[in-house]
Amino acid sequence: MIKVEGLYKKLGDQPVLEDITFDVSEGEIISVLGLSGAGKTVLLKHLIGLFRPDQGRVIIDGVDIDSLNEEQLLKVRCNMGYLFQEGALYDFMDVFDNVAFPLREHTSLKPEEIAGRVREVLKLVDLDGVESKFPDELSGGMKKRVGLARAIVLGAKVLLCDEPTSGLDPIRSRDISDLIRHVSQQIGSTTVMTSHDVNNSFRIASRLIIINDCHIAAMGTAEQIKASQVPFVREFLQMSTV
Amino acid sequence: MVPRLLKNFYGHLRSIGEAIFFLGDIISLIFRGRVRWNDVLDQVYEQGVQSIVIVMLTSFATGTVLGLQGFTTLQRFGAKEFIARLVVLSLLREMSPVFTALIFSGKAGAGITAELGTMNTQDQIQATRVMGVNPIEFLVVPRFLACVLVLPALVIISEVLGMLGGYMIAITQAHMPGAFYIHQTMDAVGFVDFFSGFVKVFFFAIIVGWICCYQGFFTQGGATGVGRFTTKAVAYSYIAVIVSNTVLTKIILTFWG
Repeated sequence: MIKVEGLYKKLGDQPVLEDITFDVSEGEIISVLGLSGAGKTVLLKHLIGLFRPDQGRVIIDGVDIDSLNEEQLLKVRCNMGYLFQEGALYDFMDVFDNVAFPLREHTSLKPEEIAGRVREVLKLVDLDGVESKFPDELSGGMKKRVGLARAIVLGAKVLLCDEPTSGLDPIRSRDISDLIRHVSQQIGSTTVMTSHDVNNSFRIASRLIIINDCHIAAMGTAEQIKASQVPFVREFLQMSTV
Repeated sequence: MVPRLLKNFYGHLRSIGEAIFFLGDIISLIFRGRVRWNDVLDQVYEQGVQSIVIVMLTSFATGTVLGLQGFTTLQRFGAKEFIARLVVLSLLREMSPVFTALIFSGKAGAGITAELGTMNTQDQIQATRVMGVNPIEFLVVPRFLACVLVLPALVIISEVLGMLGGYMIAITQAHMPGAFYIHQTMDAVGFVDFFSGFVKVFFFAIIVGWICCYQGFFTQGGATGVGRFTTKAVAYSYIAVIVSNTVLTKIILTFWG
């Protein structure tokens, strides 16, 4: 479903990603871990075409993202959902309109069908009765849930989550991680998330990628990562109280 | 030192290029009919409401001052009946378009930059893109078009109120008959006066809309950045309006007198 080959990216004079190669099978959940500033978000933004690789390729569902112009990319993105760290909800719209936005833009559903679909996804992310609230009336965790609802409302084939647990307490972090797994399974999406949260990544991801110093330091299942002898990976895991 | 200067120069050149492409994108979307008219109307309301009171107050005061100064000066030469001519021509040709554009960029223009800038720093513009929607079409075109619609309307209001200010002075201070003042006003105004004002306003609206949307759309640096880019947008708009007014005045006077 997702294939990244020899991805190289420089921001300014600084290389951020070098020779990043991995693939993600359909329905899989992958967690990308690493230090702050390691390039996790940059990698995620390549997957949705917000960044273009300096070298290498990003292939989503058989389509080389870099070969598309902006108009073609907009169409491809309709099959993808992206959850931003802070939700990135429109502050001039209430929750209902935020979630309904992709439906109004990309479908010809009638208003009552849109309302039904919005209620359905809000229920899926455990949010009821907040339709008329504005983003500044929501807690951080609720914003992420609304952001997730908006990301999946079109039935995303690929779901990308940028640090979905950052800024949340351990219980909310666990809940939102479980929610991502639940939602991914429900809508059958292929999910890539970036995180610092090693425990929850081990719990929900089928494979993990650890990035250090612009390169992939380790990649594999939870067991393979735990057994890694790479010094950085061992230190990273030890500091993350596994 | 020299490499740094060259780097700065290159940076500015790049920004200018980016800004031109940005305007090209806006115009291309408008000509392709990609305009969300409901959003445009919302913006027209928003920008109009933000600026109308201050435009009305300033214009009335400007007309009054023009009338007072005109009366004081012209009566020395026994030519106080020319007050109407002085007021209306100053307002239509220069003062209303320029003052209104400056006020508009300080109020509505700053609002546009701050709003788009906040959206950018909170990833709302990127979120639009990842939802498969062109953010220039969704967020910029309505604001830009609203500028082009609102500013001329504000200028007309400004001209009417300015003339009213002049009329009030003519009646109360110069003791001129109201009908005479109105006749003098109508007599003084030619097609070129309307045309000159209209060309300028249209041009100013494009400039203010373009600069303010561009600065907001590319704001960086969180809350501090929003403040910095908003200040920059207003300063650049002021400079652009004043400089382009000089050039346009010269062109209009050369070709149409």
